Amino acid sequence: MKLTVTCTVNGREVRADCEPRRTLADFLRHDLGLTGVHVGCEQGACGSCTVLLDGATARSCCLLAVQVDGATVTTVEGLADNGVLGPLQEAFRSHHALQCGFCTPGMLATATELLRDNPRPTEAQIRTALSGHLCRCTGYQHIVDAVKAAADPGEPEAGEEQHRS
Amino acid sequence: MGEKLIGARMTRTEDVRLLTGRAQFVDDVRPPGVLEAAVLRSTAPHARIVRIDTAAAAAHPGVFAVVTGADVRAVVRAPQPVIWRPDPDARIPPAYPLAVDRVLYEGQAVAAVAATDRATAEDALELIKVEYEPLPAVTTLDQALAPDAPRLHRELPDNVAGRMVVAKGDVATAFAEADVVLRQSFRFARQMGAPLETRGVVATWDPFTSRLDLWLSTQAPNLARELLGEVLGLSVDMIRVRTPDVGGGFGNKFDFYGEEVVAAILSRVSGRPVKLVEDRRESFVATVQSREQHIDVELAARLDGTITGLRGTLHGVLGATLSTIGMSPCWTAAASMTGPYDIPAYEMNVVGVLTNKPPYGSYRGFGLPKANFVHEHLVEMLARHLGLDAHAVRRKNFIPPSAFPYVSPVFVFDSGRYEECLDMCLRAVQRAGWPSFVSAARARGEAVGIGYSFHNEVTGFAPSRIANQSGLQNAGFDEEVVRIDSTGHVTVRTGLSAMGQGLHTALAQVAAHCLGVPLEHVTVVSGDTEACPYTGYGTAASRAAAVGGAAVLNAATRLRAKVLRVAGHLLEVSPDDLVIDDGVVSVVGVPEAAVTLARVGDAAYRRINGLLPEDELPTLEEREVYDPSNVATAYGCTAVLASVDVETGVVTLSGYLIAHDCGTVINPSIVDGQLHGGAAQAIGGALFEQIVHDGSGHALTRSFSDYLMPMATEVPPIGVEHMVTPADHVPGGFKGAGEAGVVGGGAAIAHAVADALSDFGVTVTSLPITPPSLLAAIRKGAGR
Ligand code: FES
Ligand code: FES
Repeated sequence: MKLTVTCTVNGREVRADCEPRRTLADFLRHDLGLTGVHVGCEQGACGSCTVLLDGATARSCCLLAVQVDGATVTTVEGLADNGVLGPLQEAFRSHHALQCGFCTPGMLATATELLRDNPRPTEAQIRTALSGHLCRCTGYQHIVDAVKAAADPGEPEAGEEQHRS
Repeated sequence: MGEKLIGARMTRTEDVRLLTGRAQFVDDVRPPGVLEAAVLRSTAPHARIVRIDTAAAAAHPGVFAVVTGADVRAVVRAPQPVIWRPDPDARIPPAYPLAVDRVLYEGQAVAAVAATDRATAEDALELIKVEYEPLPAVTTLDQALAPDAPRLHRELPDNVAGRMVVAKGDVATAFAEADVVLRQSFRFARQMGAPLETRGVVATWDPFTSRLDLWLSTQAPNLARELLGEVLGLSVDMIRVRTPDVGGGFGNKFDFYGEEVVAAILSRVSGRPVKLVEDRRESFVATVQSREQHIDVELAARLDGTITGLRGTLHGVLGATLSTIGMSPCWTAAASMTGPYDIPAYEMNVVGVLTNKPPYGSYRGFGLPKANFVHEHLVEMLARHLGLDAHAVRRKNFIPPSAFPYVSPVFVFDSGRYEECLDMCLRAVQRAGWPSFVSAARARGEAVGIGYSFHNEVTGFAPSRIANQSGLQNAGFDEEVVRIDSTGHVTVRTGLSAMGQGLHTALAQVAAHCLGVPLEHVTVVSGDTEACPYTGYGTAASRAAAVGGAAVLNAATRLRAKVLRVAGHLLEVSPDDLVIDDGVVSVVGVPEAAVTLARVGDAAYRRINGLLPEDELPTLEEREVYDPSNVATAYGCTAVLASVDVETGVVTLSGYLIAHDCGTVINPSIVDGQLHGGAAQAIGGALFEQIVHDGSGHALTRSFSDYLMPMATEVPPIGVEHMVTPADHVPGGFKGAGEAGVVGGGAAIAHAVADALSDFGVTVTSLPITPPSLLAAIRKGAGR
């Protein structure tokens, strides 16, 4: 049995038929060809499949495609405009915040949500926001630096511990 | 040399694709007609396979092929190859891609299905009936070595796969004459690299032409091609291995896996391309595991802190069969255990022991983290015993700069300034204000401490003769091709693999630097055995920059000379009077007398008549085969600031500093990133990660909720400082940096914890340090 799902993905309305057991991640990747959605665990633990669903982060491996009928989804493919990287993407690039890039689409989704809700996060707040995401390559330092750099340039709130050289 | 690109913090050429979702990982590869496969895995840790019935699975709608161990055994010409044999007499039990007659560990592959999609293949797996006759399993070293232990392989007299000795000097005399002899035992848990992208392959084995075409998420495409040829009885020209973007490797994607063979056979049977991507759950039984060793040592020393001897036994707790690299990580730990210290007498007995667990294979660090943990623990232990400062003991025993090249038990170390590096780390700790932070915290009654570890590391593991002498049945040289095209732009073709480490950027920087062109004018092509040259071994062992960088440098330097000859001809001046900058060749001191590289390219490819010197061949291309004369020794000092909650045993890290020397740095951002990532893996290995089997052999660790890897909240801010001691024997002076971060972290964390808990007399001799184990040690210390 197949069901039809209609939703808006990266600004375009799409309709596709899929099995009820199809996860949103597989739907985006296989039915819509949005392979920037990465699947690292299929159990909600790694964060690499994170997308924005009606503006809020969601783990696309833990949702069924049929659940997003009528919703708006943004994947990493929707973050850059007309060949120009978005500010977070640019900051990730200039701060070497990615190595293999497998975790990156999920990190970008969560960082997008963080900076929208809290334009001047402290380092600790950034780390907490990203703490649902595994990155096995970077050790997170450069990711945190990139998010900080992409944030509103106002001074972050004081009171952070700093033990770096 | 034009732009100084070697050493520049350039942004990476790889990033834009990755940041915009335009990369192509193996699961994104979808040739027309592709089927998806799934593997049935043993539910028994050790059992005889009485019967397998695949009829219902084969009849399931959407299923195209089902294979069992017997089917695969009938196709292959050889068992899974073991290419590294440090013990030439090792008993290597044959292992096949799917179990034949018996399963030897839970999760071992038993049968495989190719179907229209993965879900259908998994549905079909449920229809395969396997009858197992259980056999007793051994998972611990003691179980495996017990006199009456169940044997894994009937053809072997016991569960020992091999024994090796690494030795230097007169150990007996060193111990007989020692003022002090200290003993200690160390235990390291099973861990794995766990790249965020799991392993995968897309195989097309044409039943008419017998050509085998693979997309493989691998660090070693040339090796995979040769081993596939060996196993399937094909000459290598019949096999093409392409590597898409690779989502992390960390050694786990170096090894040659049975799934690669299974996918090929499923393709041959079905006549369709077959994709086989492991899911996360099966990665915990299907990808190699590492680190599990028991090491028992004795140290001989004089009262002034001079170490005079080190000896002991290292047991590698192997899996049920040997992985591609056999017992070499255990041998490497033994080969490296004297570390940065000049220890005149050394003997380590290495014993590889088979257990009913997945094979022990490659993981970043490859034996070195254990070796480092042992020598650093012993240095601190000796210092405590003699009432000396641990750094004073380090300094007393460091190999001094004047002693290089230094002959260690196995390798010859080329260079090092260890004391300066230690001082650099100590200064960084002072600057970061850790000592005052610690005193203030302790005044508040908190358990806070600083730990150190000094490591050295053999990198650029490439010299083919050294590789072969160490038992590796594979060379280590590297071949690179640098070409300038008719528009003056540059293409580098490499046999090395890009797996996230920034290979393309690093090689492009070297080529652009040597040729005097902007970085944007260089394209690096990798990942296709048909289009790219050969590299020995694979992209592992901290080789890519040290060996590939040097090969590109040599090729580009020769190519530059030809560019200057052609330009000299065009400008009617001697090539000696020319410089290249930003893609323009000009006469020294006369910048208006200039030609662009595009004109030189045009002269070499298109409008040759009159423009290309008559004694020059058309084209601008150089090929370099580089086989270094020696390995290159990198080193570093790690400092960690940790606090311990004495009520719960939970360790929190709040600072991490590394002073490091990997010779000439091509791109400091990339090196920093490598060190950070290695540090995070060291943190995981020291505090969280553990693959657990219960007493009867069942695999208990099957997901990221069991295998805890550090997230951004567990990894503290990391600071890195570089010093540069070029490797004189390597063109460019490069040394490797890929593994450095992971080597010293475990010991530094353990020492920080011990320092924080010095009131309780806690020392750490096993990893990971879990809250229950630490709490038990704290309670024991409190009750002293
Ligand atoms: S794939 Fe969805 S959280 Fe890991
Ligand atoms: S960059 Fe590889 S997992 Fe994050």
